[in-house]
Parts: sequence; structure tokens; C-alpha cells
Amino acid sequence: MTTATEARNNIIARQQQTLGHSNEELTSLVEKDRVHRDVYLDPEIFDLEMERIWGQAWVFVGHDSQVKKPGDFITTTIGKEPVVMVRDKKGEVNVVYNRCGHKGAKVVGKPCGNAQMFRCPYHGWTFQLDGTLNATPHKCGYEDTAFDPADPQFSMQKVARVENYRGFVFANLSEQGDDFETFMGAALETIDNMADRSPQGEVEVVGACLPYFHDCNWKMFFENLNDAQHPMVCHGSVGVATKKTVRELPEGTPVPKEVEIISPFGSSYELFDDMGVTVMENGHSFMGGKHSIHSSYSEIPGYMEAMIESHGQEKTERVLGSNRHNTAIYPSFTIKDAVQIIRVVRPVSVDKTLIQTWHFRLKGAPEQMLHRTITYSRLINSPASMVGPDDWDCYARMQESLRSNSAEWVDMRRYIGREESADGLTRAKGTSDLSMRNQYKAWTNYMTQTSEQEA
Amino acid sequence: MSTNTAQTLYTQPQTSELEQFLYHEADLLDNNDLKSWMELFTEDGTYWMPVARDQDDPHGHISILFENRAVMAVRANNFGHRLSASMEYDIRTSHLIGNVRVTEFDENSGDCTVKSNFQAVLYYREQTLFAGTCTHQLKRQGEGYRILQKRVDILNCDAPHRSIMTYI
Repeated sequence: MTTATEARNNIIARQQQTLGHSNEELTSLVEKDRVHRDVYLDPEIFDLEMERIWGQAWVFVGHDSQVKKPGDFITTTIGKEPVVMVRDKKGEVNVVYNRCGHKGAKVVGKPCGNAQMFRCPYHGWTFQLDGTLNATPHKCGYEDTAFDPADPQFSMQKVARVENYRGFVFANLSEQGDDFETFMGAALETIDNMADRSPQGEVEVVGACLPYFHDCNWKMFFENLNDAQHPMVCHGSVGVATKKTVRELPEGTPVPKEVEIISPFGSSYELFDDMGVTVMENGHSFMGGKHSIHSSYSEIPGYMEAMIESHGQEKTERVLGSNRHNTAIYPSFTIKDAVQIIRVVRPVSVDKTLIQTWHFRLKGAPEQMLHRTITYSRLINSPASMVGPDDWDCYARMQESLRSNSAEWVDMRRYIGREESADGLTRAKGTSDLSMRNQYKAWTNYMTQTSEQEA
Repeated sequence: MSTNTAQTLYTQPQTSELEQFLYHEADLLDNNDLKSWMELFTEDGTYWMPVARDQDDPHGHISILFENRAVMAVRANNFGHRLSASMEYDIRTSHLIGNVRVTEFDENSGDCTVKSNFQAVLYYREQTLFAGTCTHQLKRQGEGYRILQKRVDILNCDAPHRSIMTYI
């Protein structure tokens, strides 16, 4: 009998043969300083990405604070695969495919909830909280049919690998490939930094997510995360409008707290160049380090004291002295440790992408820290903000006009050849296209199934 | 009623008077006159569009919009700005308001809370329909009202949206 993994690998192998994109063709879409437009436009390439990138990378599923009690679950997707993340009665967090082992219906419809057991609403097959088949109604019909309820094909199958790192749950649909820590590399420091910003060393998700539909390929959103050539142009107006508003305030009026959050989006090329961009293996990257657009926020009373009391002076200074902007963990996850926000990428189709923004409470910190997190997200990430829609619009413009037959390539050459490498990390000036070039290095590796990373 | 005060008590306003106020507010939005629109709010007034059903906290839970006068002023200055990519396209709305009812009234202050149902069409690159309930907390000021809070509960508050370019 073939295992579930072998069966999945066979499916991937079959698709490789039938989709008609040889490794040679795929490799030819990425050059050292440009990529072919087909990576954003071709639905077959999107399908291949779902199998080869999203089917082989560690993808963020959820945070374990979303499933605090046994039976708590959330539903989401890993690439095109519907999954349920659920805490079982032993307290373990499982990730299982949201597919009934009987006729294939989606078993759990709600985005979140609590269940003693999962029950398919179609024919009533029930499953335990680790996905194992519990019972089928009216069993007499299966007598003498060789039906084996213990055969995994009749369960809601478990995904190949799951890792819970400080509450952040990632899953990998493939048994092969890097273990979680190798995959993450130095990006893991950003998760540590966010959790360590809590006086108790723990964070928890607060409330519902903010979902935002983007009319673009998922990679456009991802490439924008560490694209520092765009803020002063794309978000130029909101910086100007904010300055104008401050000037128009009656004399003696205190400057509103929102200004310190919005204003940095109008910062100069020089500030972003100084922030720098750092890339690592597997397509990950971050901006900033010692300073970023988040480093000039005002202090919130009581926070520093709580941190020093728990962590001591030295660790507190080290934790708060790190100011990364977006850490982009290819392909699914971006985290702002300094602001306690994550954005999760859920590709829908070649030109549609769902972005989910989640917000975190630093356990043991004053509630005003959470209020700032929430204010930041409303002002910057909300579909009704004055920042997110400018990005959204530029992605939509690319998705639309890349169809033009006037040209075929997308340029990514800024500051090429002027990177510096040390300790497995490569750095460049912030407005470099380095993070995009690095993402396409990972893209090529995943898409052509080579396991070796280039130096 | 009371005999120990000379204070004049307010009588509950006619629904028609409140309807005129809501129509005027919606009209300013439909004309993209955000500067006049924000003047309808008290200095500490807020506009709130929650992301969750029955959300009771705008500070410790994310919302689609929760804006004070300061942010409304930034938005008014940003509206239609030539340096904004998203503002290159027209933003048009049309509000339809009904089922106006007073849910709270304070005869001492004259303040009242008014609920209404609405349907609002936003045209921005494509046409989108929003529908739901508005809750206006109104402060009596002289002969008229100013808005302490306008809360807009859209039916699909927790659904993924495309860009929402102006107040609904």
C-alpha cells in the first residue's frame, strides 16, 4: 500500500509531466537582474508554485493562542490545500487537511470555533481532533467490502510536518526538505524578538484578523515588503497631507499620536538606504536592524520598567535595540516584531491574493502597547487606510499592464553587484532590489526541485 | 416634573428633523466634501467601522476604520492628492438612508442616539455595495447637533474587502 506522502509525490510528478514547463523553461524565466512577466501572469505557473513552493516550504498556519482550549480550531489554507489547525485533548496542536475521507467534502466550514469531534455534514462521518476517523454511520453497508477504518485514506489526513515555535505554528506539506530551524535561519530572530518584547516572553493573538483582497499575484505583495524605493513615491501624499495637517493645527495643540506612525512613510531615499536590506537563504529578508521607521516611537509609560524587571537591563536593551522593519519569510509570512503585527499571504489565483493581518498582545505589557499596534494597523494596513490602498493600486496596475505585449521583462537590478556578505547574510542599501533577486533565487530552487542553495 | 430647577428640558426631536441631519451628512460624503463633513463632528468626535460583529472596543481590537478629527483632517488633505497612486481614480458614493429611529434620548442634555439602515454604493474602479446599520451619537448644540460618534456596521464587516477609499 502506498503511503499518503508517496501518493502526493506521485501527483506532483504527474503534474510535472503534464503541465509542460520543463526545468529549463522555468529557469529561463529568471535572470540575474530581471524576471519574465509570465511568473505573474501564467495560471499554469501559479499551479506549479502551489505544488512546488507552497507544497515544499514551511508555511505559516496560525498562532497557538488562537486555539487555547482542547477542541479549539481555525480553518485556513496552505497554498490551495484547505486545512484545520486544532488543539486536541492531549493539548497538541495538529494541522489536518480539511477534507472528508469519504466523499471529499470540506468538513469544517467555520473560520474558527470549538468542537468535541469533527463531523462531516454530508454523510456524518466523524473524526477525532487529530483527524483520525472516529466512526461511520450505518456500518452494515461496509461489511464484506474490505473497508478498513484504520486506513489513513479514510481520515482527515495530517499534513507532513508541523512546528510550533513560541506559539507560531508553521506546517510543511512535504516530508522532505529543510527542518524548520534550518529553513528559517536568521529570520527566527525576528520571531524571538517579538516574543521577547513581552515582559513574560509570550505573545497572543487579539481578536479577529483584518482581511484585504488584493487584485494581484501573491509575489507582488511579497516583493513590496522590502522594496524601499516605493514609499516616498507611492505613499508620498500621506506624508505631505500629514505635515499640512500639523501645520494647520491651532497654535499650542499637541501633535496627534498618529503622526509619528504615518510620517515615516514619507521618509527620504537616504533614510531607507541607511536602514539597509538583509537577505538570507530560502528567499527571506528584512529591512532595518538598529534603526527603522519604527525606532522613533514615543515611550509608553510602565513598559520599560516591566521589561527590565522581567528580563534585566542588558537583555531589555538588546531586545528593544533591534528595530527591524518587515521580516519577510518566503513565501507566506511577514512579521513586524517592533509593532507586533503579522501579515499572512494566502494566494487565491494567479491574479488574486488574500492578505490577513493579525495583531498581538505582549503579555505583561501595558495595554497602551496593544493600542499602538492596533492604531498602526488601522492607519497602515487597513483596506480603508491611506497607505495600504496606494500599494494595492500599484500592484493592480502591474497585474493589468504586464499583459501589454510591448515588453516581457520586469527589471530588478538596483544596486546589483554592490552587496556585502558575512555570516551567511547579505546586505545592501535599503533601496536595492536585493530582496527581490533573493526571492527569485529561492523561487528557481523550489520550482526546479533542486535542493542545493546557491551561495 | 422636578420643581427644584429652572432648567428647561428638551423634548425628543421628530424623526424628520433627524432624517434631515443624516441626509445632510450623507450628502457631504456623496459630494466628497470631507472638510465640511468633519466639521459635523465634535472636537472629540470619531468615525468607527468595526471589523467584527458586536465589537465593543475600538482601541484594543482592530477596526476597518476608527478615526478622530486629526486623522479626518489628514484624510481630507490626502483626498484626491496628485502624489497618491490610488487617488488617481474617481471616488464616488451614493447613500440611501432609511428606518431612522431614536434609540436613546436624554431630556436634560438633548443628546440622542439615532439608528438608521443604509445602502451605500461606492464606485472606485468598480462598483461595490455596502449595506448595514449606522449608529449616530448626537450632541445637542444650540438649535442643531454635532456627531460624537458615527458607527457604521456593514453586513460583511469581517469579509475580505478591496480598498475602501472614503467614509461610508
